[in-house]
Amino acid sequence: MITAELTRPERTTTAGRWYLERSGLETLVAALRADGRTVIGPTVADGAIVYDEIRASSDLPHGVGDVQAAGKYRLTTREDARAFGYVVGPTSWKRWVFPPLVELNTGMRAGHRVEFTPTRPDPTRLAFIGVRACEIAAFDAQDRVLDSGHFRDADYAARRKAAFIVAVQCTTAESTCFCTSMGTGPEVEHGFDLALTELDDGFLVDVGSPAGLELVQGALAGSMRPATPVEVYTAAADVAATRARIGDPLPAAGLHDRLLAQLDHPRWAQVAERCITCGNCTLACPTCFCTSVIQTTDIEGNAATNERAWDSCFSPGFARVAGGSFRTRPRDRYRQWLTHKFGTWWDQFGTSGCTGCGRCITWCPVGIDVREELMAIAPPVALSPEPARVEPVAASFDDFVVAQVVGTRQETADTVTLTLSGADPAFSKGSLGQFAMVAIPGFPPLPISISRFTVDGIELTIRGAGPATKAMCALKIGDQLGLRGPLGNNWPLDRAVGRDLVIVTGGIGLAPLRPVIHALAADRRRFGDVRLYYGARTPADILYHEEMRAWASRGGIEVNLTVDRAGPEWDGNVGVVTQLFDHATWEGANVVAFVCGPERMMQATANTLAGRGVTNSRIFVTLERHMECGIGLCGHCQMGKYFVCRDGPVFSLAQLGDIFGREGI
Amino acid sequence: MGDTAALVAALNATWFGSGLPPAAQTRLAELAHEEEYPGGTVLLTEGEVAEDVGIVLKGRIALRTLVPERGMVTILTIEPGDIWGWSAIVPPFRGTSTVVTIEPTTSVVFEGAALRIALREDSVLASAIYPRILVAVSRRLAASRLQLLDLFAHDATAGA
Repeated sequence: MITAELTRPERTTTAGRWYLERSGLETLVAALRADGRTVIGPTVADGAIVYDEIRASSDLPHGVGDVQAAGKYRLTTREDARAFGYVVGPTSWKRWVFPPLVELNTGMRAGHRVEFTPTRPDPTRLAFIGVRACEIAAFDAQDRVLDSGHFRDADYAARRKAAFIVAVQCTTAESTCFCTSMGTGPEVEHGFDLALTELDDGFLVDVGSPAGLELVQGALAGSMRPATPVEVYTAAADVAATRARIGDPLPAAGLHDRLLAQLDHPRWAQVAERCITCGNCTLACPTCFCTSVIQTTDIEGNAATNERAWDSCFSPGFARVAGGSFRTRPRDRYRQWLTHKFGTWWDQFGTSGCTGCGRCITWCPVGIDVREELMAIAPPVALSPEPARVEPVAASFDDFVVAQVVGTRQETADTVTLTLSGADPAFSKGSLGQFAMVAIPGFPPLPISISRFTVDGIELTIRGAGPATKAMCALKIGDQLGLRGPLGNNWPLDRAVGRDLVIVTGGIGLAPLRPVIHALAADRRRFGDVRLYYGARTPADILYHEEMRAWASRGGIEVNLTVDRAGPEWDGNVGVVTQLFDHATWEGANVVAFVCGPERMMQATANTLAGRGVTNSRIFVTLERHMECGIGLCGHCQMGKYFVCRDGPVFSLAQLGDIFGREGI
Repeated sequence: MGDTAALVAALNATWFGSGLPPAAQTRLAELAHEEEYPGGTVLLTEGEVAEDVGIVLKGRIALRTLVPERGMVTILTIEPGDIWGWSAIVPPFRGTSTVVTIEPTTSVVFEGAALRIALREDSVLASAIYPRILVAVSRRLAASRLQLLDLFAHDATAGA
C-alpha cells in the first residue's frame, strides 16, 4: 500500500545557525542582484501577494498579512513590520520555473523543405526569496514530473537549476493550510540555499548549500553573527506553533487507495453542480503541469512558432479526440483532477501531487474545499482497508482449544445461541464473518459462523439439523467444546464506508451477518442508508427477533422481514426475500450488498440486485461448502480455484465469476 | 368515477401504473375509483368470480389459501404499488387465492367487467396493461418456485 510519507533528502544544513539583522535583508537582495540574478519575491499587487521582481528589500510586503478561507482572500495590515507575515498568494514559483507561455521551437517551410529550430532554454539566473516548505515540496514534485524521468523538460531543468532559493519558515498559517497533513511542512528542512525564520528584529538563518554558505561568508558577513540559543529556540517555537495551529485537517494515510476505490461515488456529481470548471485550481496549484502547444503561423503558413502554454484538465477540450471528448461532464473533469492530484500521482511519480498549500481552496470562486470533498468521497476508515486478521489458534489438523458454554439462548424451536468463554483471546479479536471449527468428541467437527464477538469470547448460533449440530444445541452452561479459529476471511465493511449498505439474508444466514450489524450500529455515521432484508421460513423461525427491534430503533437500520409462509395471525410480509425490494425506490449505484443464505436464494438476490444497478464487484456473498479442517488442507471445500475455508467464505460475485451458482462445482 | 387527475397521479406513483402512455393512463383512470378498506376485509375469495382488480396504494394485503387441517395459510403479501385480483381479467375469471386486507388499506379499484371491455376495445390500453400483468404474475411465479424449494428447511450451518 502506498503511504502518504514523502522521502526527503537529509537535512543539508552544515554551517551552523546565524542571525541576520532586519537591515541585512537589503544586503541579501543587493548581493543576489550583484551576482547577476533576477530576484523574485513577494510583492503586493492587485490586492494580493504576487511573486514578482524585487529590486530592493523595500519591495517586500512589510507589515502585510492575509486572511484566507474557501473562496476568500483579503490582505490585512499587521501590527508589526514583518516581511513574510502572510501565507501564500495566488501565484506560485511555477510561474518562474515553468512559465505559462514558453517558446518551444520555430518551423519553416520553403518549397519541399521543412526545418525546425528548437528555442534555447532561458538562461536567466534567478533567485527566489520567500519560498515556503509547501513550495519546496512543489519543486520536488515538479522535479519528479519534469526532470527525473527518461524524458526531461530542458527548459524547466535550466530554469530550476539557475534559481537560488531563499526559503522562509512559516510562522503564520491560514485556515486553508494543510501542509502538515501532506507531510510537506511547515518546517523547511531541505531544498534551499538559505532558510530564514523571521523573528521580531531580524532573521535566524540556516545554510543549506555551498552557494548559501558562500553568501553568508561573503556579502552577508557584515550583517550576520552566530545566533543565540534564545533566537534558535524562539524560531523553533514559532514554527512549532504554526504546526499546532494547522493541526491535521486532512487524514491522508491511505487516501490513495480510498479515493481510487470511490470512482462512482455520488459526490462527484454533487460537487460538479458547484464546480464551474474554470480551472483556477489548476492554475493556482504549484504542481499542476499539464500544457498544450499553441502554434502561431505567418500569414502564408510557412513560418510557425510553437509555444507551450499552461492548460488544465478542466478545459472542455483537454481530453478531446476526433470522436469527441473523454471527459465531457464537469464531474468527469473534477474527478480526473482530484484523483490525479491525490491518487494516481503516487503511481506515476511516487509522491502526492498535492503539497497542502491550500491555493485551490482559496482561489476557487465557488469555495470548493478539496479537503471537504476528499473527506466526503473517501473518508478515513477506522477499519484498515485490509483489516489485519488475528492469527488463528489450534490451526492444525489435530488441535482444538477448549471453551466453555457460559450462556445458552433458544432462538427458535431448533436454533440455539451458545455464549462461549475461556477460549483463546484470539477468538474475541476475530473479524466480522469469520467462523470457527467446532468439535465435540464423537461428532465430526463443523464450521460454525461466529455470530457475536464478546469481550472474552464469542457467540455461535447453531441450528440443530444433524446429529453434531443437535449435540451442540443440547449443550448446557458449564459444558465444554473444542474450537479452532477464528478462520476464513471477513465481510469487507470498509468497502461500504460512505455508501449505502444492503444486507440480504435468509434463515440461519443472519448469524454471520449479526457482527456486521453490531459494527455498523456502533459506527453508524460512517455509512449511508443501511437496509436489512431478512427472510425466514415461518414467523416462528425468525432469528434475533427482539434484537432486530433494537437495530431498527436505536441502530438506524431499516429492518424488513418476510416469511415464506404464515398463518392468518401474522400481519407481516409473506413471500421470498427479494420481493421486499422488488419495488423499492432506492438506486443501486451507491450500494454495497452483503448476502448470506442458501445458494439458490443468493442467486435470486444477486439477480434482483443486479437489476437495481448493483455491480458484481459490490455484491458479496458467503459460501457454504463441506469443510473438515477449515485451514485449506483437507481439500473438501474447493470451489474452482478457491478453498472456501481459506480464501472465503466471503467472496464478491466479481471474484467468483461464472462459477457462482453453476451446477456441480 | 372520482377525480381523474388525482387517480392518474396516484397510479403514476405505483410500480404498476407508472410510465404508461398518457392515453392509457387517462383511460385507466376513467375506469378507476379509490377505495378504503378496514383491516380484515375479504376482497376476493379463492375459487369465486373475481369482480374487481386493484392496485394497492397504502396498507398491506394477504393472499391466502385454505389447506385442509391447517386452515388458512398466507402465501404472499402485497405491498403498495402491486396488483391484486388480476384473475378478473384472465379467464376463467376466478380467484386463485383469497385476498384479505391485513391492515387498513387504500386501493385503486377497477370493475373487472368494465376493464375487460376496455382492454378488448382499446388496443393501446391492452398493449400497455397486459405486459405489466405478465410481469406481476411471472414475478409471483418465480417467487413461488423459490418458496416451494423450502430453502431454509435444509439450511444447517451459517455460511461456513
